[in-house]
Amino acid sequence: MSKVIKIAMAGEGGQGVQSVAEIIAAAANDEGKECLYIPNFGVEQRGGVSIAFVQISDEAIGAPKFNTGDIVVALSERAVARTLQYVGPQTTFVYDASLNVSAEDLPKNAKRILEIPAVEISKNELSPRVFNIIIMGAVVGATGVISVEGAKLAIEKQLGAKFEKQPKLRELNFSAIDRGIDLVTKAG
Amino acid sequence: MSEKPIQGERRAFLTGNEVVAWAAVASEAEIMFGYPITPQNEIMHYWTRMAPKFNKRFLQTEDEISAGFTTNGGVLAGLKAFTATSGPGNTLMQEPISMAEMMRLPIVTIVQQRGGPSSATVIYSQQEVNLTTHGGNGEGLRIVYSTATHQELFDYTIKAFNTAWKYRFPTFVLGDGYQAKMREPLTIYDPEVRGIEMVPAYKFVGKPGKPGVDRPPTQLRNIFNMEEELFEELGEQFADFEKISPQIAECEQFGCENAEIVVTAHGIVARAAKSAVKDLRERGLKVGYFRPITLRPLPVKELRDTFSRAQKVLVAESANGQFDQLLKYAAYGITTEMVPLFKPGVGINSEDIYDKVMTMLAS
Repeated sequence: MSKVIKIAMAGEGGQGVQSVAEIIAAAANDEGKECLYIPNFGVEQRGGVSIAFVQISDEAIGAPKFNTGDIVVALSERAVARTLQYVGPQTTFVYDASLNVSAEDLPKNAKRILEIPAVEISKNELSPRVFNIIIMGAVVGATGVISVEGAKLAIEKQLGAKFEKQPKLRELNFSAIDRGIDLVTKAG
Repeated sequence: MSEKPIQGERRAFLTGNEVVAWAAVASEAEIMFGYPITPQNEIMHYWTRMAPKFNKRFLQTEDEISAGFTTNGGVLAGLKAFTATSGPGNTLMQEPISMAEMMRLPIVTIVQQRGGPSSATVIYSQQEVNLTTHGGNGEGLRIVYSTATHQELFDYTIKAFNTAWKYRFPTFVLGDGYQAKMREPLTIYDPEVRGIEMVPAYKFVGKPGKPGVDRPPTQLRNIFNMEEELFEELGEQFADFEKISPQIAECEQFGCENAEIVVTAHGIVARAAKSAVKDLRERGLKVGYFRPITLRPLPVKELRDTFSRAQKVLVAESANGQFDQLLKYAAYGITTEMVPLFKPGVGINSEDIYDKVMTMLAS
């Protein structure tokens, strides 16, 4: 089980956790790795906490979901509460600094807890549109499961059509992923 | 003649529903009948997207009863026809599937299991095992493959068409909501490049020539006047099924020769079982893995051999014992203890199985 990198990302509908999960998994696939992405889905298309599970490995992957993640990302207060169950002694737990959570609400048993100002950076430095790509950068930086180039190629593949129309978007997205990586690597 | 849907073979990264649609196109399926229900909807979506490019057709019916009967009709007319459903749709479809059993029509049905009873969840379960293996009235005969990976979803959808048309029994690919919605890599291929020969379809009705003169008349019945007629017909069907069962039954196993505990699961739960057993064996523990790929017919001989050698068998399933019941019937007379790990309507992860085996070993 240890050779598989397990990622759980949770947020409110519209925050883009599913698209980020899909891009990360697609990048891993393009690098020839074994990978599996599964969204949680239900009858509530809107209004619920949306969770994405991604696993990446060099070997065949087992069950599509897991009990404990290597990296667990929560992007809303409700998502923090919902993802506590996926946190264990090996987990890096990442949440956004803008969330209204106290130390009480955060996991007690994580290996590492990272508070990152992704909302603030997306609002003030880049654009709210690339909030989820900053998060993607954080995941890539924290796990190293895919290369930065691979991640950028996957973004290009997913959003290339939009970049054609608005070339500035490409730069914006690539800055966002770089900033996301910086956030976790500099956090030590 | 339109060109082949898949040239040679290539790696793809797809959801399970897309995989089924690709496999059906590659299998030379000609028409799909269906009625929408989550989590199998995208099979229809992708099929309808691809169908026109390859001269294939689609009909959305008013419900699943009708989808099943039109699939029967397609097959009677000599078309490779299939349908896909889930949950309450699977319940409704049992009526036309019973007809296919009685008349031995080679229909192919994909089931992506969701939670039950009734509408329950649109997400996932392994609670449609009873319905899919034995859902009809009477004691109809059918073949059920339970897949675990996207590669298998592709391979066994192709195989299901061949099994159905070769042996003339309704054939199922039993997946689930997780398989339907998850994305993972697989190799999709033109069956020909793998040396797989597709069994051609043939007409059941509307055949050329005058019946009784140029050819024997076709007699396809789902109703009989006399008890004895039915008894005779069923006798033949049971004998046929028994004869072909060893050729159809499939299983996968490792580490069972000297195992104290054998973990058994089917479908997607087998993935969790497999990785848990690998980890346990790396720790030097005597644990084996046994997975029936066909739930009907079951690989009875292999199952009995393996179960009779083990001290305990752990049965893991996302249902409250449907798979367990099938196993127990097949293992009748074997006294090995069978320990349940049942999570009806909920996924089972590798850690769950690993921990359960560790508890069993400690007790």
